[in-house]
Amino acid sequence: MKATYQWLKEYADIPDSAEKLADKLTDIGFEVEEIRPLIKEFSGVVVAKVESVEKHPDADKLSICEVNNGKQVFQVICGAPNVKKDQFVPFAQVGATLPNGFAIKKAKIRGVDSFGMICSKEELGVEEKSDGIWELESRYQLGDDFSKILMKNNDYLYDFFITPNRPDCLSIVGIGREIAAIYDKPLRYPSFDVEEDKSLRIEDFIRIEIEDKEGCPRYAGRVIKDVKIGPSPEWMQKKLEAVGMRSINNIVDITNFALMELGHPLHAFDLRNLTGNRIIVRKSAKNEKFITLDEKERILPENTVMICDSERSVAIGGIMGGLNSEVKEDTVDIFLESAYFKPERIRVSSKELGLKTEASQRFERGTDPNGVLKALNRAASLMASLAGGTVVSGICDVYPAEITPDKIPLDCTYVNKILGSDLSEKVIRQKLSGLELDVRKDEIIVPTFRVDLKTEIDLVEEVARLINYSNLPSKRVTNIPYEIEQRPLEKQINLVRQTMINLGLQEALTTSMIRKEEAQFFSDKEPVSILNPVSDDMSVMRNSLFPGLLHAVSYNRNRHNKNLRFFEIGRVFDQIKGQDNLPDQPYKAAVVICGKRYSEGWNTSAEPVDFYDIKGFLESFLDKLFLDNSDIILYDTSSYFDNNLSMNLIVSQQITGACGRFSDKIIKFFDIDEEVYGFEINLDALFRHLDLSRQYTPIPKFPFVERDLAFVLEDSITAKSVADCIRKRGGELLKNLQIFDVFRGGKLGNDKKSLAIRMRFQSAERTLTDKEVDGIFNRIIVKVNKEFNASLRN
Amino acid sequence: MIEIIENIKKQFEAETEKVKSLSELEELRIKYLGRKGNISNAFSLISDVPAEQKPQFGKELNQLKQQAEAVYNKIEESFKTKSKSLMLDLTLPGRRSFTGSKHPLIQTAEEIKGIFSNLGFVIEDGPEIETDYYNFGALNFPENHPSRDMQDTLFISKDVVLRTHTSPVQIRVMEKQKPPIRMIAPGRVYRRDTPDASHSPFFHQIEGLVVSEGVTFADLKGVIESFAHIMFGKDINVRFRPSFFPFTEPSVEYDFSCVFCRGKGCKVCKGTGWVEISGAGMVHPNVFKSVGYDPKKYTGYAFGMGVDRIAMLKYNINDIRIFFENDVRFLNQF
Ligand SMILES: [Zn+2]
Repeated sequence: MKATYQWLKEYADIPDSAEKLADKLTDIGFEVEEIRPLIKEFSGVVVAKVESVEKHPDADKLSICEVNNGKQVFQVICGAPNVKKDQFVPFAQVGATLPNGFAIKKAKIRGVDSFGMICSKEELGVEEKSDGIWELESRYQLGDDFSKILMKNNDYLYDFFITPNRPDCLSIVGIGREIAAIYDKPLRYPSFDVEEDKSLRIEDFIRIEIEDKEGCPRYAGRVIKDVKIGPSPEWMQKKLEAVGMRSINNIVDITNFALMELGHPLHAFDLRNLTGNRIIVRKSAKNEKFITLDEKERILPENTVMICDSERSVAIGGIMGGLNSEVKEDTVDIFLESAYFKPERIRVSSKELGLKTEASQRFERGTDPNGVLKALNRAASLMASLAGGTVVSGICDVYPAEITPDKIPLDCTYVNKILGSDLSEKVIRQKLSGLELDVRKDEIIVPTFRVDLKTEIDLVEEVARLINYSNLPSKRVTNIPYEIEQRPLEKQINLVRQTMINLGLQEALTTSMIRKEEAQFFSDKEPVSILNPVSDDMSVMRNSLFPGLLHAVSYNRNRHNKNLRFFEIGRVFDQIKGQDNLPDQPYKAAVVICGKRYSEGWNTSAEPVDFYDIKGFLESFLDKLFLDNSDIILYDTSSYFDNNLSMNLIVSQQITGACGRFSDKIIKFFDIDEEVYGFEINLDALFRHLDLSRQYTPIPKFPFVERDLAFVLEDSITAKSVADCIRKRGGELLKNLQIFDVFRGGKLGNDKKSLAIRMRFQSAERTLTDKEVDGIFNRIIVKVNKEFNASLRN
Repeated sequence: MIEIIENIKKQFEAETEKVKSLSELEELRIKYLGRKGNISNAFSLISDVPAEQKPQFGKELNQLKQQAEAVYNKIEESFKTKSKSLMLDLTLPGRRSFTGSKHPLIQTAEEIKGIFSNLGFVIEDGPEIETDYYNFGALNFPENHPSRDMQDTLFISKDVVLRTHTSPVQIRVMEKQKPPIRMIAPGRVYRRDTPDASHSPFFHQIEGLVVSEGVTFADLKGVIESFAHIMFGKDINVRFRPSFFPFTEPSVEYDFSCVFCRGKGCKVCKGTGWVEISGAGMVHPNVFKSVGYDPKKYTGYAFGMGVDRIAMLKYNINDIRIFFENDVRFLNQF
């Protein structure tokens, strides 16, 4: 919402400067997003007169003008369609600097010399966009410095952020009311008196009927006869332009002026286009089409409030007028509408139409049903005084069920209870009445323009903001009166993160919204998709952390960061419906690695990572979490990993994760030119089995015995099956088993391998004897021989 | 014949002077002390020595051998000691490990969580895909109300959204337990914003909620001020401005004095001396009603803060997108 300092001053006494006022308004809840001098500085522009206009010989749209600055005549090329002989214009002479910093120099345009430029309002920073040059009134002296003329009454422009609960402040008077409250001075309203022609009666011109009483609780109108359409006066144009509205003609400008001044949208119809002298407010018909005054044909959503005459629709209520009844240059009689529409209905229609207007934005937030006549009268009297119209006596006002002001009980102890303050009743009453609230003995009568004030708590905010938040007490946390215990999830996630860091992995945070194709790599299930995504590459929710991490790998490798080891912890999303009919959204942790195994150096080997690196990360990770029931097995492997290079993580018989090498298809899709390995774990599943409690196990006091042996067996027999067999046979005393060498070929022959295994035996109670260990050791050998047809290697 | 021993001795002594490396020393050893070395050879000459000189010859030759061995050992020892300090270039870099670190946003979130944990807040968690009810309805956003436009929402279906704030966790916690409540809820939130230097369609918030009997606006001001001082320093001022959020009343927008210029005005704060942090307010009675709390009995405050925003201030980062590019040259700085 834009407003100028001078315009605000017409309604409220402001003892402070424009800047100071901005601070004070911010303090009471009207954030000033921008404040700037209305007119930016410029120089070298003087008042001049156009002496002659001739067509440029080589360009249809250009004119060659002679411009007189009172002392001298210059030849100037001008491209504006509205340049005419004898016009007074702002003339930027050679050497001038315009508000946008543009410097005027002598130029040759299509072969003709030009000494300066005739300026538009746009070029002088007075309006956003101009169609032609700025035609000045002839009262100025030729040669006068135009910047001095403009700057003499320079003003400040504010741009306020108005929160959606305060539609009453989408107007100069609304903000003026707040200013009046700040300085504790009365607000000066404009006059709402109308001089009517008693010989004419409104009943003879228009009849109003509301069918859709829910959508339009009040509809009022006046008729203004014999207006002369023309430009509105300069003061009005200036005000409208300052707040970002374009001047159109006096009638439209007056409705816009009343809108900006009072915040109540009005609409002017050409009376001759209202067939049957009737206005009927009804709901739109199914699939009804309507051409709005921006000349667009629109299909109306059902339940749209429509303003109609006896035959057809003439406006979309509260949103935009129709092309068929708009005010034109030859309009003579006006029907001026001032109505109150139900906010929800306007909002739904405006949204479905995709059409937001100054009017719809105010109606959907809530206008004042009891301010309808004030706005109507204000505009009607301006049409009489500024457009020469005659106001027909009487108002047609259909208001079947009056909307009465709310009453809110006033309880000063409640105010202090919420604010932790010690404000006196007198101060509280004074602050509230400053806002034109009717403060009675035990209650407040809330005027209907304050749609945001409904209950006692709303009054607390009014008091608080007028006192100023900075003047309210502040209390430090001095004691913590109840015990707290952090949730397990927090500790579990922290443990996972810390373990990852301890493994030398770098944490990444990646997007949760990914491309559909990416999601399809990582699950056969349909991903959770977004109805209104920001873009195609963020159209579904991630079902895995891998896409984001692979993007991170690709991004870094493209920037010559080659050795990468990332992890991420975050939620992923699954179509399965969980609680509240929401998708299941478990936490997962994932790791991806690629590049060299060791930090590169003169004395380290430059080998790249392989499968046993990622498996090692996963094993080390599981070790630090002390998960008893975990196992990494070969199983029906995930489609995104290489068939031969992937495994699954099992925790308590459930598949809880997978690790492996990404398939070539994946690597190619993410534009990576190197092998990448990764693992991902469902943390929600893992945490069900994670025990954070720790109990100390004594360190063994008695020595251990180590024995090595090497079996020769079929190559197809897995190390895990042999180790499992040995562990089982080794019993309690076998504390540790390590495969320290794998050997193939040589004398062993094809399809054979040798597994060298070191076993450590130990008892917590006693020193083991050689005999004892030998016994176990031999049983192990016999068992492995039998089970796998293995022989001992010599 | 004795002079043979003298000659060997002189020659040996001269050559030991010249030994510069372990390999030269080894050559020397072979030459004199090896099985076919000069000293061994000299022993074989004993048969040619006249009988009366034999004992002396044998004795002196043995002495020479012992001396040579001692000298050899001494030189070898000195070379070995030297090789440890001189033969290696200790200025060469050592073997390094890859090291990881927490993401800077996680580090910031942990710092914030730590501060509030110390102030007695429990850390809660909630889903990122939420129902319309938890994200809006229960938080006093009426249907078809312009307040819903304050946050541009990403929809999964008509009634399911990507949460636009962490505030739904307030409702979930209050539904589950009775006051007193003192909680924070960190997490990822979503808005339908096109990515640019100051917007990301996903970012991170920390929600705070305190509900009990006798909780006031003064407590809210106090806790935000404490946070500002612990996080950014004692000289940071906090400015509270009225604002509007459907689920709080009175509502607050709070700013910190600029952490770079300490309030004097600079580029970061656009010369104002203040940086906007986030919103807060007293819990709206309608929110208490939606979770079955008695608004006459209980009062409370809620606040939010943007982790990304605070991290940007803390580390002087001016483009939010850098957090999610995961360039290791960025991540390694933390
Ligand atoms: Zn600053």
